[in-house]
Amino acid sequence: MPEEFVEDKDGMKIRKLAELKTVTNKNYEEAMLKRIDEFKEQKKEKSQFNDVFQNTFFKALNTAFDLKVQVDKAIGEDNLKKLHKAIDDILLLGL
Amino acid sequence: MYHLDDDEYLNVPYYRKTRSVCPECLEPIGAEVYEENDEIWMRKTCEEHGKFKDKISSSAKYYKWTHWAIRDKDGKVIWKFDKDGEANPPDCGVEDPRGCPYNCGLCPEHLSTCSLALIDLTNRCNFNCNFCYANVQKSGYLIQPSLEEIDRIMKHFRSKPIPAIAIMFTGGEPTVRKDFPEICKMAKDNGFKEVIVATNGYGFQKKNGGLEWTKKVKAAGLDTLYFQFDGINNITYEKTRGIKNLMAYKQRVIDNCRKAKLDSIVLVATIAKGITDIEVGNIIQYAIDNVDVVRGITFQPVSLCGRIAFEERQDLRITNADVLKVIEEQTGGKIAMENSWYPLSTIVEFGRVIAYLADVEPIEFTCHPDCGFASYMVVDPDSGEMMPIMEYFDPLKVIDFANRFWEKIRHKEKNQLRVFEELLGDFGKTLDNGLNFLDKTQLRARFLLGVLQYMKKPGKLMEMFSRLLMRGDWESVSSFSYGALLLSSMHFQDAYNMDIERTKRCIVHFGVAMPDKSVKEISFCTMNTLHRPIIEKQIAKKITAKIKNEFDTTTGQSVEEIEQEVARNGGINKKEDA
Repeated sequence: MPEEFVEDKDGMKIRKLAELKTVTNKNYEEAMLKRIDEFKEQKKEKSQFNDVFQNTFFKALNTAFDLKVQVDKAIGEDNLKKLHKAIDDILLLGL
Repeated sequence: MYHLDDDEYLNVPYYRKTRSVCPECLEPIGAEVYEENDEIWMRKTCEEHGKFKDKISSSAKYYKWTHWAIRDKDGKVIWKFDKDGEANPPDCGVEDPRGCPYNCGLCPEHLSTCSLALIDLTNRCNFNCNFCYANVQKSGYLIQPSLEEIDRIMKHFRSKPIPAIAIMFTGGEPTVRKDFPEICKMAKDNGFKEVIVATNGYGFQKKNGGLEWTKKVKAAGLDTLYFQFDGINNITYEKTRGIKNLMAYKQRVIDNCRKAKLDSIVLVATIAKGITDIEVGNIIQYAIDNVDVVRGITFQPVSLCGRIAFEERQDLRITNADVLKVIEEQTGGKIAMENSWYPLSTIVEFGRVIAYLADVEPIEFTCHPDCGFASYMVVDPDSGEMMPIMEYFDPLKVIDFANRFWEKIRHKEKNQLRVFEELLGDFGKTLDNGLNFLDKTQLRARFLLGVLQYMKKPGKLMEMFSRLLMRGDWESVSSFSYGALLLSSMHFQDAYNMDIERTKRCIVHFGVAMPDKSVKEISFCTMNTLHRPIIEKQIAKKITAKIKNEFDTTTGQSVEEIEQEVARNGGINKKEDA
């Protein structure tokens, strides 16, 4: 029996603590990518994942997003709050 | 939860009046929901049967945080939940003067449309769980709608102003029906995006032909198993189901689904104190270890049926908050109650924005905050550890932005831009369509930027989330959900804790084909607490000795044969077991 289990008097195996860091974690991304492949195959050109324009757009967005995360870290929490408020106001303006 | 600038309301004692039913006579009575010793309770009095008291939540603080507090003009806090559904016309009138929940359904008092349609395919089952309401042997009659009746129910749910996107087949054990693959195909043909079966795994686990059958139902249109899974220990199943060695049976289901590439299983654990609550950590780990096929876990605190004394009831009663506490304890605080979980109703406006901008069928999670909580577990790209998705972004800010955004654009849903149509006729109509397309495109860009500013971590998952925000279609939703583990806790009501405010907002509805060719739509909790015996008497089919003894219509096996193979020993013969 793996060490992380304890066994009670009825023979019940109870995990001491659910281990959230596992070797299978990577599989979540793989499962997602596999699902994307399924859609690509099933729906052919109707799938968004076979659309070159959309794939390029979201890849670019992802790159910009990586950059944004770095900027967020650099400008500090207080400035970030002010920035968020300003962006909120702009995006909701005129709706 | 929507009080971003004010959390003082958490110090105000919770109190509201509601309506309920007497657990003895099921007649309507008034009830009060109140705070006592940091817990939330319901008290009610039936003139004939006396006083009743039951626990609603073991955490007053969390309960209040998930509820709505409105301050009146004098600054007094009023607890009021007012996220009602939209486009929800009634199917029947108010025939019973007692009102909700006696007029299902749906009657004009119902405030939510159906998000998940349920059809009981049969009350046959290869198990004989002592707490289950659906059992042909116990009831003495057969409930098994014909294909024509099933089709009628499906069409009813798909013809509503907001059609149900998902359908779940329940029972009994739905997979004992020979025509189950045909029923799955019928669901897809009727336009359901997600076809689900609530199963103990019977059809999938068969040693002979189980794999082929699994492939067949997948090809026919079955998307997801809502898979009864109480733990990883045989002894747990002996306690909950009265059957030995059931874990091998459960594992065969997982294995066959893996081989058949039916890779959307939701583990469903009924949580009872001292029996299955100690398995919560085991179940979470089992799901993570089987990520290639397991998409989520639903914990269901047990509902209490029959007459139970107060003291005994308090020993048995386990609430959503208790389940969240147990999860927190058994994961070392990594899935914490106070920052990992949100009521389903949190994302109502968020869902409406996406559905409007992407022109897709909306899902209205306008259920009461007490009905259920959910959290997505995702992989932290920095540490490689599973963590609640709330660590990926600032959830309150995202929700707040979505709420304000919806408030600003909701008028556009009903009033499309019409600038050129009156001037230029059909050509003008085409120009207006183009204008509306451009308008939606700029709104999509605003919404995407508004939400993404609150994201904290990059990665492929966030790319999928961006696609979901922009497109809102099934491909995006499904692919995103495959990269995460959905955890939820859903507490169904019983006669002791029934709150009509919840009942009126139920989004999980049974469809029943009635003999007069109509379809009755009945909310889940009232079906099981009030309506089932009355409805079933009207639709029961005559039982014959053959039906009673023939559980599995696929093979024509008798009860005795099935018990030997499955229900006694999990499909393991004594030699293997030893």
